[in-house]
Order: sequence, then structure tokens, then C-alpha cells
Amino acid sequence: MRFIFVTVIKEMKRRFNDPGGLISAIMIPLAVGFLMATVMGGGGGQPSIKAQLLVTDLDDSFVSQGIISALGQDRITDMIMLQKVDHEAGQQRINEGDGSGHLIIPKGFGKAWLEREEVALQLTVNPSQSISPRLIREMLESLLDLGDYLHKVFGEELKIIARSLDGNELTGISTSVFSANIADKISGIADLVFPPAMTVEDITPQPETASVSFALLMFPGILVMAAFFAANGQSTNFWTEKEKGTLGRWVASPNAFFSFWIAQWFTAMLLTAVVAFPILLAGFLYLDIRFEKFFTALAWLALTGPILFSVLSLIQVLAPSKKAGGMISTLIMFPLLMVGGSFFPTETMPKFIATIAQYTPNGRLVEPMKGYFTGEYGASGMFIHVWGIMAVALVLVLLAGWISTRKALA
Amino acid sequence: MIEVRDLQKSYGDLIAVNRVSFSARPGTVFGLLGPNGAGKSTTISCISGLLKPTAGTIRVGGFDLAGDAVKAKSSLGIVPQELAIYEDLSARDNLAYWGAAYGLKGDGLKQRVDHVLNRIGLMDRAGDLPKQYSGGMKRRLNFGCGLVHEPAILLLDEPTVGVDPQSRERLFDLVREEKTKGTCVLYTTHYMEEAEKLCDELAIIDHGKIIAGGTLDELRAEFGGNDIIRLTGSFEASRVEPVIAGLNAGVLSLTPESLMITISEGARVLPAVLQAISATGADIRDTRLSEPNLESLFLKLTGKDLRA
Ligand SMILES: Nc1ncnc2c1ncn2[C@@H]1O[C@H](COP(=O)(O)OP(=O)(O)OP(=O)(O)O)[C@@H](O)[C@H]1O
Ligand SMILES: [Mg+2]
Repeated sequence: MRFIFVTVIKEMKRRFNDPGGLISAIMIPLAVGFLMATVMGGGGGQPSIKAQLLVTDLDDSFVSQGIISALGQDRITDMIMLQKVDHEAGQQRINEGDGSGHLIIPKGFGKAWLEREEVALQLTVNPSQSISPRLIREMLESLLDLGDYLHKVFGEELKIIARSLDGNELTGISTSVFSANIADKISGIADLVFPPAMTVEDITPQPETASVSFALLMFPGILVMAAFFAANGQSTNFWTEKEKGTLGRWVASPNAFFSFWIAQWFTAMLLTAVVAFPILLAGFLYLDIRFEKFFTALAWLALTGPILFSVLSLIQVLAPSKKAGGMISTLIMFPLLMVGGSFFPTETMPKFIATIAQYTPNGRLVEPMKGYFTGEYGASGMFIHVWGIMAVALVLVLLAGWISTRKALA
Repeated sequence: MIEVRDLQKSYGDLIAVNRVSFSARPGTVFGLLGPNGAGKSTTISCISGLLKPTAGTIRVGGFDLAGDAVKAKSSLGIVPQELAIYEDLSARDNLAYWGAAYGLKGDGLKQRVDHVLNRIGLMDRAGDLPKQYSGGMKRRLNFGCGLVHEPAILLLDEPTVGVDPQSRERLFDLVREEKTKGTCVLYTTHYMEEAEKLCDELAIIDHGKIIAGGTLDELRAEFGGNDIIRLTGSFEASRVEPVIAGLNAGVLSLTPESLMITISEGARVLPAVLQAISATGADIRDTRLSEPNLESLFLKLTGKDLRA
């Protein structure tokens, strides 16, 4: 155990004594991130991805108008741009990929809602976008939750309104009672219910959501790229030590060979943290992310290092030589980085590539981190995504260790 | 101590080590002497646990290397023929790391590292990275890494190749120091001078087989007290051979350019030998008379020059 610790220190010293690898693992992702953010425009405050929601109101009741005006709330317009269209025009535009979604409020919706009958809003989303439609769906769901809540509070009054819509006139008395009731209830719960966007805030507790910028979508991919580079550097160490004869010294020593791999694994963890630190810092400052997320993000990134290290190590030990190992891992790494969202965020990719991204080790790691930054997940939500992958990675690195034992002993 | 029994290592059809047996005692230096490709490194690698023997048993410090690997290995220190150091780690860090690999720590480790740094002459460069060292300096560090933990058994595989004569003497001193402490040293080389200077016991290996073994004196006795005369110049074999037979001498080697014979009382008969050989029309340019050494022994045993 102590020797594993000593070995990790030794490995870190080696990396710092010959810092070329470390520096490029920091500088390349930073440069890519900076370049992409500059080209695509938009720093932290600039919301450059906005959902465009087309709305067709076939109902034209005060309920449907309420929905539309709720969606027109200030805070929501930061994220969703509303445009009223007629039915055909809306469907056609969505089919052509113009707009994030088309919301149809069917005829009779208002009345049905008031009477608590089964009724559905119809939403068609643009399949080539992934974040915006999600945003719209969540927004609508929260609106409907608000609707439920209104029912609970104003149940009686809403029934009266519903009846009035059927043509039954309200008598003078009932009108005044009705008004008084509403006024009472409103003054009691106004703090809770209004403005309606408060409910929206509940499901999007992190204000960053309101400004999902291109740079922010890029950021997790850039970080995982850095982790990838750090892990790749460390995974070639098996061959370096084999060629330099130090692996032989290790095999000749009384230390178990698996402890070599455990030490490498922890080194990958530390190294990733070292490489991620300056990038994370730069990103947090540039994107204006809440600083309390910093160390959680760093810890999470440190875990991604060993995961990527395990995958790359398996490639290395299966390769017939150092040269082949280096070539294969480079050949694999760049397409993976490309598909996995390190050069372009998955949101900007064609749908099928975005789907592939989910099955790449780095792509799987990019998404939870993105969710954490955009506020979709809390810290635990992000970490939950990593344990399963970590378990697989542990199996891979043990496999690499087992294969390398047979390789070290000719 | 090291006990090797019927060790065999094959690479496909090639038998690199062929039923080699020997044992080396604590407090002695055991030399394994042989030309390139004889199987010295292969033998050492098997004893270090780096190669799996095809057959045979190896016991190290009383433990079977195959059955009790961890215990056997913990008494070993190795200095491989090929450099095995971290070039991106200072000499001090290299030594400290390999010391820690065998459980040294704290002040004990630090003192030992300082001692070794002094002995290998790298104290003033201890903080530099070996990348910036000369070849000989790297060799010396490689040497130090093998014995920093004061192993009971030290395996040295041609540790002085490329090391200048002064530094070499210091490394020899270090080997002798270890030996005096009771360390069992296995030393491979193809330099006879080294073997003669350092080794208490020797085995001569060629083509994977041990062809002679014993103490230096025992091996010298193979010559029955004869001396060696080595001549260079130009010789005509058909005319020289009968003359030598008439002198009651034995031919060790005879080429158009050189002649090596064994003969008793070499110093006394040398003038007569030179005269007789000159009479064959040979042109003698250089003459050397010596006691039998490993070179001549090897020549006698294999008919090959060790330096070839
Ligand atoms: N990995 C290998 N694969 C095939 N043959 C090998 C391998 N390693 C060594 N050999 C062969 O085994 C034989 C013994 O080699 P070894 O390295 O033990 O010689 P050596 O006595 O140490 O020579 P040197 O003085 O040159 O170091 C040689 O014929 C060599 O070609
Ligand atoms: Mg050798």
C-alpha cells in the first residue's frame, strides 16, 4: 500500500520533470475551446441557443391565451422565443427544421381544462435539436403543474367560470361572492403563485439554464478532452517502462504486479486533476459559473481520468509494440473526441452522431458534466452517471494488468 | 545464496541456456564468463524472475523462485545489462524509489541513498536528470539502483561496460564492500581481467553450456602449471606445427598472424622457442609471456578466442 503511494508520487515527479505532456494536455483543449467559443461567438452571458417555439392557438380561450402569455414571461423569453403561426404554416416549418417545436392548443382545450376533463396539448419537436425541445417540454410541464395547482386552489371558482362559458349567466350575487373569494385566496397565496414563472424556476434552479451558451455547451467536452490527453499520456507509460527496463526492475522486485497498475490508475486520477484545474478555472471565470461547483466538478473530472486511462491501457497492452500502441490510440482518440462532443457539442450534431456519442466513453462522460453545469443535474445526479462506468473501467484495467503480466514475463 | 539446477531456457528451437547448474555462496563473488550470446543474460533473467525457465529449478536465499516468488525476490538486487533507470527522475529520486521498492524508508533510506551516491560518484550530480548524464554516468546509476537496498544476493550483468577505468575501480570497490558484508554476488562478464580480479569462483559458459568451473586456481591447474607464449607476426602453419611438437609444447591457436602455445618453464625456454620458430621463416613482431589466464583457458576449452 505504501509503495503504491510512493509510486504515484514518483510518477507525478516524472510528469513534472518532463512537463511537455502536461502542458500540451492543458494547452490543446484550451486552444480548441477558445477557438470554438470565439468562432461561434458568445461568452457566458450571451444566450446564443434559444428555443424557437411556434404556437397555433385553435382554442382562443382565456385559458389558451393564459398559456401563451405565460410563455411570454420575461424570464422565459430568455430561453424561448414565441411566434404565433397558423396550423399548416407551423407544421410545415417544423418539418423543414425551422424552429424548435410547434405547440398546438386544440379547440376546446380551455373548457376541458376548466372542467378537468382529459385533454392534451399537442407538441411537435424538431428531431435535429436536443436541448431546445427538452427546454420547451419542461416549460410546458411546469405550466401544466401550475394549472393543477390553480385547480386545487380555485376549484369552485373555476367551475363557475366553466359554467359561464356554457352560456349560464352569473347572477349578481354569485359574481360578488366569486370575486371576493378569489380576492381572498389570491392575497393568501399570491406570494407563492405569482409570478407564474416561479414554477419554472423550481424546475430550473440554476440560473445558468437561462443562458445556455455555445461556450457552456462546449466546456464539458473541452474538459473531457484534457482528461483524455492526460489519461492517454499515462497509458503509454507501460511501454515506456518496458522499453526503459524499469518495468523489469518492478517485476524482479517482490511487489505484486497489479499494484503497478493500481499506482498507474491513481496517477491518471491525480494527473487529470492537475490538467483539469487550470482549464476549469479559466472556464469558470469566462463562463461565469457559480464557484461552489468548482471542486465538485474537479473531483468528478479526476474520476474521468482513470476511466479513460483504463480504456486506453487495454488498447496499449493489446498492441504489439509501443509504436503500434501509440498509433492505435491516436487513431481511436481523435474520432472519439470528435464524436464525443469535444470539438462540437452534441447539440449541434446530426441526431445519429449524437446518438453514437452516448456510446463513446468520453461522450458518456461529457453529458453528465454538461447537465451539472446547465443545472439539469445536481452533484449527486452527475456522480450517479459515473459509478457504473467506473465499475466497467476497473474491470478493464484489471484485464490490462492481467494481459501485461503475461507480456512482461516473456 | 543461489542454487541453479539443470536450468534450461529455449526460444523456439534455440536453446539459449542448456542444463546449467551451479551454486554461489554468501560472501563470495561468483563469475559467469562467456562470449556474446553464451547465455549469461538469459541465466540472470531467469534468476531475477524476468524469464520463465523452460525447465530446471532456481533457489534464491533458500526459497524456490517458482513456488515462493515474493520471498525469493525480496533478497535480490539486480543490475541489468541494459540500462533500467528513469531518465526523467533525478539520480537521488531513482535510488530512493528503488530503495522504497524493497521496503526501505525514512532516515535509513536517505543514508543509504547518500552512501550509494558517493560510491557511484554521482553525489555532485544527484539532483540532475539522467537525461543529461553521459553514458558511463547512467551505467553507474543503473549499478546503484540494484544495490541501494543492500540485497543479500546481487546479480550483476556486465555492469561495467562503457564505464571509464577510474569509475570502474570504484564500482569494484562497491562490489567488494557488498561481498565483505556477506552478500552473494553473481557477476557476468566477458572481460577476463574483471573476472580474475573480482571472482572467487567461476563458471565458463559457451553456447548455453557450462564448460568449466571452479576457483581461479583450480581452473589454472587445467594447464598443469604451464605458461603461455603468444606471438604475433606471420606464420606458415605446415612448417610451424612440427617444430612446436618437437619443443614439447601445445598449440592453443595458430593463425597466419598469431600463434599461442603452452609450455612449461616458459621464461627459460623462450629464446629457444623464438629461434626455432624463426627458423621456419616466420616473421615475429611481438612476443608475450604470461601465466595461464581465463583467456587462454577459454581458448583451450573452446578453441575460440574470447574476444572474437
Ligand atoms: N528474446 C529472445 N528471443 C530469441 N532469442 C533470444 C532472446 N533473447 C536472447 N536470445 C538468444 O539467446 C542466446 C543467449 O543470449 P544472452 O543474451 O543470454 O547472451 P549473453 O551471454 O548475455 O551475451 P552478451 O555477452 O552479448 O550479453 C543468444 O543466442 C540470443 O540470440
Ligand atoms: Mg548479456
